[in-house]
Amino acid sequence: MPQATALVGPSRGQRRTSLLLALPALSLLIVFFALPVLALLLRSVLEPAPGFSNYVTLLGSSTYSRILVNTFTVSAVVTVVTLLIGFPTAWALALMPPIWSRLVFGVLLLSMWTNLLTRTYAWMVLLQRTGVINRTLIDLGIIDQPLPLVNNLTGVTIGMTYIMLPFVILPLYGVIRRIDPAILQAAALCGATRAQAFRRVLLPLVMPGIAVGGLMVFVMSLGYFVTPALLGGTANMMLAELIAQFVQSLVNWGMGGAAALVLLSVTLSLYTLQLRLFGTSGLGGR
Amino acid sequence: MLLHWDKLGWWRWVLLAVTILTAVFLLLPILFIAALSFGSSQWLIFPPPSWTLRWYDELFADPSWLDAAWTSFKIAVVVALLSVLIGTLAAFGLVRGRFRGREALKAFFLTPMILPVVVLAVALYAFYLRVGLDGTVTGFVLAHLVVALPFSILSIGTALEGFDKSIEDAAVLCGATPLEAVLRVTLPAIASGLFSAAIFSFLASWDEVVLAIFMASPSLQTLPVKIWGTLRQDLTPVVAAVSTLLIALTLVLMLLVSLARRFAKSS
Repeated sequence: MPQATALVGPSRGQRRTSLLLALPALSLLIVFFALPVLALLLRSVLEPAPGFSNYVTLLGSSTYSRILVNTFTVSAVVTVVTLLIGFPTAWALALMPPIWSRLVFGVLLLSMWTNLLTRTYAWMVLLQRTGVINRTLIDLGIIDQPLPLVNNLTGVTIGMTYIMLPFVILPLYGVIRRIDPAILQAAALCGATRAQAFRRVLLPLVMPGIAVGGLMVFVMSLGYFVTPALLGGTANMMLAELIAQFVQSLVNWGMGGAAALVLLSVTLSLYTLQLRLFGTSGLGGR
Repeated sequence: MLLHWDKLGWWRWVLLAVTILTAVFLLLPILFIAALSFGSSQWLIFPPPSWTLRWYDELFADPSWLDAAWTSFKIAVVVALLSVLIGTLAAFGLVRGRFRGREALKAFFLTPMILPVVVLAVALYAFYLRVGLDGTVTGFVLAHLVVALPFSILSIGTALEGFDKSIEDAAVLCGATPLEAVLRVTLPAIASGLFSAAIFSFLASWDEVVLAIFMASPSLQTLPVKIWGTLRQDLTPVVAAVSTLLIALTLVLMLLVSLARRFAKSS
């Protein structure tokens, strides 16, 4: 009798049905996600010969360690810049009259939803030697020669900041909206100046949002492929591009697997850290 | 005081200025590309010397662009359908099921969202080379399904959690079979979740480029692969024309999703 099961909780049969329902998704992800990734990681210790030689090469050579340093530096700079721009924006969005904030959210979503290649292409055009930014700066007499803004890490940082900005604004907005304004009124009543209230009350309350948004941007930036590849040029590779190159041009699966494991372990440990600290995966958006 | 717009004092003007700059920063590149797609300059000089539809003509005259767009569309539609189907089943299992390891399973289902796509792309590429799925539509669909599925499970799962199961139970008490109750009561009630899942999955596949670069072959490429290949050679304004059409499509899809949300709220 179905009525009875609805009242007394799940029977063994229901439990089996639930698992059965998840089975198609589970098998897809095992066959086309978990096993291939594991196989790739295994190749890093099996090819060309069993052992850790790939890791010794990867972490020992100056070429590869420079790529690792590039990757971490760009990701850190992008994280800091997006937080510096994103925090005041999210703060204003949380307070301003809804008519305005809806407009800004519209722009935010349009930018997030626009094809990634389109956005990257826009920056390739804007930043090129004869692009609008260089020409404007020359016309204004600020510079004589066009600045090298693309095919280097400057270009990558600008493009990545553009792409990552919504990912800090959205969680920060959520956190600020949930803060009770009465707490800050209390601070004012107790005689705190604006700066004191900001530093000692608002900032600590927003900290979880800063940590979640910042960590998410940092981790996403570490593994980003398209934007660094197009804006950075071949001389300024980042880790994701290196993995692709090992496999596509050099057909060196062992090294590709080793670089993938480095990226994967950093990514997963940072996410685990975030889960431990804040109990949220920060997933959301696209 | 810091959380009241009217009591912020001069801080308000700083926040407002940053917000306006942010909005301009986010919007300008998109408007800029749309404007350049109608500009006559081959080298994308702005403002353009004159206006033209030349790049759109070139785009539609080249069958390889249309082929790539059509391939992308076919793959994305199949991915959206499969993702909603499999995602609905999985969401029911996860939300309704009370079994051990449910949280772990949920976490596993969402991992493709946090894993760097390039790792998955390289891993699947190796696997496809071995089983002969490289350069096939099936290979594309399965790869894109892996990244689309978490979005489906999330949005359908959220909709399902917000649905009061006692309504479904009531239908069963009134004589409906459990399956009938799900199909005729529950699914219509979570329709907006299903719809967002479909749109997100479609976009996840339609816009996906990293997996696609590894799956593509000279005879089978999606629109993002075609754009990628073109950009690696030069910054032709034809890409600006494609981009503008993609931006228009984005606006249409955003409108559809917000209409679906409004519809879900009012019903």
